[in-house]
Amino acid sequence: MTETTISRGNTLPRIRPWLGIAAAASFVVASVMALFWAPTDAVQGNVYRILYVHVPLAWLAYLAFVIVFLASVGWLWTKNPVFDAIAVSSAEIGVLFTGLFLVAGSIWAKPTWGVWWTWEPRLVTTAIMFVMYVGYLLLRGLSTDFSRRATRAAVFGIVAVIDVPIVHLSVLWANSLHQLPTVLRAGGAPALDSSMLLTLMVSLGAYTLIYAYFMTARVSLERARQVRLWTI
Amino acid sequence: MRTVQSGASLHDATVVLDDRVILRAVNLTVGPGLTLVRGPNGSGKTTLLRALAGLVPLARGARQASGDVLYIGHRPMLLRGLTARENLEFFVRFRGGDTRGIDGALRAWGVGEDMDRPVERLSAGERRRAALARVETERVPVLLLDEPFADLDDAGANRLRQTIARARDDGRSVVIATHAHRELDELAKAQVAVDDGAATAA
Amino acid sequence: MIGSAAHRIALVAGRELRAERRQPDGVVAAVTFIAVLVLLESLVVGPQIAREADVGAALFWIALAFATILATMRSFDRELEDDALEGLVALPGGRDALFGGKVLSLTIVLVLVAAVGGILSLVLLNLQIALGVHLLVVVLLGVLALPPIVVVDVVLALRLRARAALVPILALPVLVPQLVAATRGTSAALQGDAVGALSWAGLLFAFAVVYTVIGLTIVPAAIE
Repeated sequence: MTETTISRGNTLPRIRPWLGIAAAASFVVASVMALFWAPTDAVQGNVYRILYVHVPLAWLAYLAFVIVFLASVGWLWTKNPVFDAIAVSSAEIGVLFTGLFLVAGSIWAKPTWGVWWTWEPRLVTTAIMFVMYVGYLLLRGLSTDFSRRATRAAVFGIVAVIDVPIVHLSVLWANSLHQLPTVLRAGGAPALDSSMLLTLMVSLGAYTLIYAYFMTARVSLERARQVRLWTI
Repeated sequence: MRTVQSGASLHDATVVLDDRVILRAVNLTVGPGLTLVRGPNGSGKTTLLRALAGLVPLARGARQASGDVLYIGHRPMLLRGLTARENLEFFVRFRGGDTRGIDGALRAWGVGEDMDRPVERLSAGERRRAALARVETERVPVLLLDEPFADLDDAGANRLRQTIARARDDGRSVVIATHAHRELDELAKAQVAVDDGAATAA
Repeated sequence: MIGSAAHRIALVAGRELRAERRQPDGVVAAVTFIAVLVLLESLVVGPQIAREADVGAALFWIALAFATILATMRSFDRELEDDALEGLVALPGGRDALFGGKVLSLTIVLVLVAAVGGILSLVLLNLQIALGVHLLVVVLLGVLALPPIVVVDVVLALRLRARAALVPILALPVLVPQLVAATRGTSAALQGDAVGALSWAGLLFAFAVVYTVIGLTIVPAAIE
């Protein structure tokens, strides 16, 4: 393992407290806006407000997955352990957010449409993505050797991420043939009032900051673990 | 067969497997002639040969080889489900070579009668001899043999010594890892001692 | 260049098929497995329901996906003894030929397995075939799209514990597009929807190409 990026470890602890404060502050602002400031929806009443949690969670689930892909490519290309640390951190945070997204979706669906689950393409694709995340972490968990584990995980990470758009397309086409009503119209609904849009943007920003904060913490932890357990 | 500039080398190569350092900053250049790699069990001889063969990812450093490499490891590495002859034909054809010499080579190595039996049904000695026949059927410039005398009787060992001498005289780069067989010392142009991951010229 | 790569792939595939012909326990296992699975699924779901084209098709393709995993794992188990895999990988062009050869030989074996499973499904469930040729096209293309991803996953899991459980977890989510397209296409062909069957077949071909390209690109990194 190369001994680079020790300097990076020095900058992260300095940024992290500020990042944490920014994340917490924006989360509070976003929550207040979501719960009180944004207007009540004419059709769905107040239940729709979970949109301000649901959409950012979806955004993060996919963002984290893409980061796993980029870090996986980085590892295969450079064999620099930093990329492996980023990959596993993003995968763990990603699986958390994806799980939360699916649960939040259920919580929204039940009072709104009376069902816990709809076979809407985006939901299905995200559920499959969740399983892929889990498979990724399982694959890592069963490996012992650092370098082989990183390579195995990177290969699977790349295959899985490339597959996600293909999965989405196939589920979309399968559903369109059967004319399933697209129940989950929100999360991109065109008729969003400007204040709703603003709240959504603020929420997206807040959750992204939370992701970044978790990432810095998790990556430092992983780097420390790498140095401690896998010496050269 | 005259070959020019055949060889393989490792520059500052470090190999980490199962989180243990097996090879540490190894510098080794192998050229035409016989190089012996000696060391106790567990010292990293096998990994050194595998690194030269390009089979092991290097945590640090680089590996270069000019010319194709034939690596025969601890286990004979023959493909199951095929006969000895089919195995050698497979390897020769894979490299784009000529399969005509295979029967003769197998017979010379004492596997003549059993060359059409699936390798699973051969004894360990016969499998070893069939694998070693590849030295003659695959005319590659670099040969890496890991403990090739294992499972061989006296006749087989003699045959192997002759083959090594001939390969050396042909100008091929031969690397043999062994922990015995001092009689090879006089054939060798270089010796490498491996101990606990470090390789030094001896 | 491409010619010699194809030649090497053919050599590896030829060796696989020859070994399988001499000792066909891989084929036998996969064929038995799909037969048992189809029988079991039809029984459990209930023959009345299983008789519907959609359901029958789904049962068949899921069974075939698992049979693929079984056959692939057995094919690689054979290499682990005697370090034969190393012998192949050590050759120039070995990794690519290994992937291509395994995929090719598995595809051929799976055509046989699909035939047995398919005929059994048709017979057990009394399925009516409206478009025979279309059905064949869909099944063949569906079979083509299965091995590349499974081979990559088996290679990844090669020396790990619990790989019998791990490989399905890794492979099945990635194979969802193939399973969806194959099931829909088969159902369309059974019911006489020519346009539907052909469009799903086209999609299957695209998936097969994409999966093979991904596999070919990524597998050298995965095999050490």
